[in-house]
Amino acid sequence: MSGIVGRADRANAMEDLRHVGRSEVRIDGLDKVTGAAVFVDDMDFGPDLLHAAIVESPHPHARIVSIDTSEAAALPGVVRVVTGADFPFTFGLYMQDRQVFARDVVRFVGEQVAAVIARDPRTAREAARLVRVEYQERRAVFDPLEALATEAPRLHPGLGDYPHVPWFFPEPESNVAHRRRTIRGDLEAGFAAADVVLEDAYRVPRYAHCALEPHVVVARQDRAGRLTVWSASQSPYTQRHVFAQALEPLGLSHQDIRVITPYVGGGFGGKAGVSMEILGAVLATAVRGHPVKLRWSREQEFYNTYQRQGLVARLKVGARRDGTITALEHHLFWDAGAYVEYGANVVNAAGLSATGPYRIPAISLESVCVYTNLPPGGPYRGFGYSEFSFGIESHMTRLARAIGMDPVEFRRRNAIVEGDLLPYGALMNPSGLHEAIDRAAEAIAWGEEESPREPGHRVGKGFALFWKAPAMPPNASSASFLKFNEDGSINVTVSGMELGQGYLTVMAQVVAEVLAVPPDKVRVETPDTDRNPYEWQTVASHITWSCGNAVRAAALEAREKIFQVVHAAHGLEEGSLYLEDECVRCDTDPDFCLPLRDFVVAGIETPDGTYRGGPIVGSGMFMPEFSSTHADPATGQGGHPNVHYTVGAAGIILEVDPETGKMEVRRAALAVDAGKALNPALLEGQVTGGLLQGLATVLYEDMRFDEAGRLLNPNFTDYKIPTAHDIPDEVVPIIVEVPQPDGPFGARGVGEHTMIAAAPMVADAVEAAVGIRFNEMPITAERVALAVARREEPDTWAST
Amino acid sequence: MGHRVTLRVNGEQWDLDLDPAETLLEALRGRVGVKSPKVGCERGDCGSCTVLLNGQTVRSCLVLAVEADGAEITTLEGIGCEGLAPVQRALLEHNSFQCGFCAPGIVLSAVELLAAHPHPTRHQVQEALAGNLCRCTGYEPIIQAILAAGEEP
Amino acid sequence: MTLTRSFTYVKPGSLDEALALLAEHGRAAAVLAGGTDLISWMRDDLVAPEVVVDIKGLPGLEAITLVDGTLRLGALATFSDVLRSPVVSAAFPVLAEMAGVVASVGIRNRATVAGNLCSAVPSNDAGPVLLAADALVQIAATDGERTIPLAEWFRGPRRTALRGGELVTRITVPLPDRHGGCYLKLGRYRGEDLAQASVAVLALPGDHYRIAFGAVAPATVRAAAIEESLEGRPLDEATLAAAADLVPEVISPISDLRASAGYRTHMCRVMLRRALRAAAERLADDGPPYGERLL
Ligand code: FES
Ligand code: FES
Repeated sequence: MSGIVGRADRANAMEDLRHVGRSEVRIDGLDKVTGAAVFVDDMDFGPDLLHAAIVESPHPHARIVSIDTSEAAALPGVVRVVTGADFPFTFGLYMQDRQVFARDVVRFVGEQVAAVIARDPRTAREAARLVRVEYQERRAVFDPLEALATEAPRLHPGLGDYPHVPWFFPEPESNVAHRRRTIRGDLEAGFAAADVVLEDAYRVPRYAHCALEPHVVVARQDRAGRLTVWSASQSPYTQRHVFAQALEPLGLSHQDIRVITPYVGGGFGGKAGVSMEILGAVLATAVRGHPVKLRWSREQEFYNTYQRQGLVARLKVGARRDGTITALEHHLFWDAGAYVEYGANVVNAAGLSATGPYRIPAISLESVCVYTNLPPGGPYRGFGYSEFSFGIESHMTRLARAIGMDPVEFRRRNAIVEGDLLPYGALMNPSGLHEAIDRAAEAIAWGEEESPREPGHRVGKGFALFWKAPAMPPNASSASFLKFNEDGSINVTVSGMELGQGYLTVMAQVVAEVLAVPPDKVRVETPDTDRNPYEWQTVASHITWSCGNAVRAAALEAREKIFQVVHAAHGLEEGSLYLEDECVRCDTDPDFCLPLRDFVVAGIETPDGTYRGGPIVGSGMFMPEFSSTHADPATGQGGHPNVHYTVGAAGIILEVDPETGKMEVRRAALAVDAGKALNPALLEGQVTGGLLQGLATVLYEDMRFDEAGRLLNPNFTDYKIPTAHDIPDEVVPIIVEVPQPDGPFGARGVGEHTMIAAAPMVADAVEAAVGIRFNEMPITAERVALAVARREEPDTWAST
Repeated sequence: MGHRVTLRVNGEQWDLDLDPAETLLEALRGRVGVKSPKVGCERGDCGSCTVLLNGQTVRSCLVLAVEADGAEITTLEGIGCEGLAPVQRALLEHNSFQCGFCAPGIVLSAVELLAAHPHPTRHQVQEALAGNLCRCTGYEPIIQAILAAGEEP
Repeated sequence: MTLTRSFTYVKPGSLDEALALLAEHGRAAAVLAGGTDLISWMRDDLVAPEVVVDIKGLPGLEAITLVDGTLRLGALATFSDVLRSPVVSAAFPVLAEMAGVVASVGIRNRATVAGNLCSAVPSNDAGPVLLAADALVQIAATDGERTIPLAEWFRGPRRTALRGGELVTRITVPLPDRHGGCYLKLGRYRGEDLAQASVAVLALPGDHYRIAFGAVAPATVRAAAIEESLEGRPLDEATLAAAADLVPEVISPISDLRASAGYRTHMCRVMLRRALRAAAERLADDGPPYGERLL
């Protein structure tokens, strides 16, 4: 048997829902299977389109002594060559530590130093090679622990002056860009009360998002001064805002900038915020009137966009023999790279939640954002939780075994429930964590022996919990507009991005539900900041929840207007009206049935020939008004930085060939509490996709750098992402639905969560199969085979 | 150094004057204006640029446009011109794609497979897709759709 | 633009014309068949030919035939051609087993077996099976033809015995009457990958074995010492263990991004044992079907 099994059975809907909760076909599906979907690179900009190429630093850390652009500028076909001297601007989402072009100092290999704009890409590339840059090399540091040493080279002497959000605590005179402490309870007493205290370190390397579509930007500043940017992005409004901040010296503000984002070929966090797009924006101002295009090569995609940050975690957890966790201490040192304008918030998020979904009376979390001379770290699906969960969940299993308790039972006892204290002192939201644990354990027949399919192989099972909250500023908000058309169809505008998760479809379902039209009569288009209303960004798995609320509000407003018009024209009580099958109906008059198409634009004719109503429109907004980052900086207590947590559990059955180290995932089950699955098929898509992405991080992916900070595998030849051969034999998605009180129809986000549990559960299963525990990712076939071989034949391997 | 080249793309003839260093992918996107073959890696690793060359899938980033002189080229634009092909319909109904960037290559790989093996096994489907990377879906919904298309009489 | 440097593209109409072009341009010319290596190398500026000679369509270079017990692979035969060839699957199925693990369909449809030998990267897939089978490379030039055994072909990473002005026209494989074969390739996962180590084994009646390794030395290597140790012995555990113990003498793997020397060595031992067993069983007609995953 193979494939997805057990189309998750779901609790009966609380309400009688017609469209929400159904596995509707994606509204963007047709565009995608026919090739009609347009991505930025597919757009035509006419013969005056110019192409840019970037001059990059070959050094991880160096002072720029001089830049000579004369030879490049003289090449026929070159239009402009620009350097940091032309655009001495800094930018950044949470901390403005990034420069458009490196000016005095380069801080990672591949950093942009200058750009050539030419009539065709080949000339641009050739000219870029002719730009002469003289460098004076500096000592570089690549390891976060080394970077913490007092004698380590300092990357940002100006750290103390960088503007940043109020919840960051940079430490000038060091490489610490931010330190988040979350401390609660009596740690010493907690450890003293424990029967077993387990202490160990875990290492997680850097990873790449590997969206199939590389970053690409086209920008044009027209002769009237207006700047339009087309970008492959998760964040049109945030981009506009960051551009406006950075380009303020050029006299540009929000109203002068327009960001248009068509379909995007995958994001996973890599296209959040602003990275290379700033280059498109500034280059356009250098060649007014011309559109300029910059498309990252696959190599650049690897070394000059955000990367998932590396982590060294030291973890100490105590438990009593009865299975109660008494105390937890977690130090996290992040290899955040050369610039942390976004990555520092990953560090922050981890520092708030690196307990995992457990009830623990005494905790101390310290999450440290350390500058290194590697490419900038940043958001990646999981936003820090994938990284720290490798240690936390590995540790929980080990601790359970150390006190002689079944690891699933141990988790059941300590799993957080509604009303428990969160690490920062607020209360846990409703959650179906225990149901998720039971169902995931059952799906992999936890506790039962499994025989291998091949002689000589071993089978092991692994289990892990996960949780994650959106990491957002407290005022991250969403808005939506909606209008009816003459045929009763609806256009909805929002500024969240369809990254593939199915967001447009789900928004259509929400509108369809409220306004009683079929989802295929609802068009939801990709954003244009001139036309679509505000959305913070499509990140943090918050979009279904946050924008879903805004869309629902817009639909409710439109419904309200519909009822008002019908009341005005027909005199029926508004409270007696309802919508069904594209018609307005009335409780008190069963024969009344007014099709929406008859009046939602044209209005309703009254007996005297006059009309009531008019084109029906609606608008909605959403802001989590209870969220706050005001807290005691020393302990993190007192605020409400996270709106809610989505939780779940996952289990795996792994078959290992101890001779070769090769591992096969026979079954992976993942139960996630979605609050309410607005579209179960799309949610299951998040499970199959996210699980595989997570499995790849533990089984073979990782970014490898040489001693000079150069990425050795900036391509799919050597950074292996899974192919169709590398999938689990069976994936079991399990949907738990304990409603989120403030979610649209009870929904909360799940997009990132599906990859978090993969690494620790594989580590568990490997240990169960071959008796070796790995504390460092990835756990490749090579590492497993060699560890087994060393154990079996210590003599042969003594020298290696 | 222009080369006169005749490409037959989705049944239409294109007479082009090309630099021999232009890849088929570049010529299709830049000269002919078919945009479904995508630029994913330009080194043969990802399959986003897959097109059918005389009925066989190739990576158009690793083919010179001049090499395709006289050849029949089919891109996703040329599949199911009259309504969806059965495999496209199956992929649509299974919600197989997420971001859809891999879709043009995957549909063509599926078309090549189903032409040779109208009722493929799961392993044959995996093998046919193995050169088309997809970062979003975990492949399973794509495999299921192709198997379903292959079950139709 | 993928390729930064342009070049002259020529598509000769006959073998003589092709050879004349190669003679004229010597090392400045590159032969284009499938192009999967050539174009990516040009992209990475590893090679910068002035003239590219496209030999596709040259008469007689495509066919795969069996003549008097010798398999002839034309220089234009692709890995997909090998996979689909009834001649290969009947007479030399291990070649198809090898072709089936080369890259993926879109590459196999283009890449040629001869091109794979000419590129001569240490991880090439065609080398081990053909070397174990004592294949010969037939070469043409304006001043005549020559044939060299594959054993003398590889001269190091990306270096072969081919001289400027020469063109490989055919690979010939003198097939043993009865044999069982096995090709095993180590990748980082099941999907498309370059070999981190590979082994080809041919088992012949009377406990004769021919063995070659790929990706564990600067060039594909024949394992003469192991062949000798096995000569005439039935494949029991002790023999297999003894053979595996000789692996370090035959190979000289490096540690790189893809695998450590230690893992390569370890896996060559494991793969050798598994391949020997499978080849011997296939010789006896009760082995796993060709193409079945043994790793
Ligand atoms: S773009 Fe051709 S294979 Fe990736
Ligand atoms: S659907 Fe996004 S890459 Fe396949």
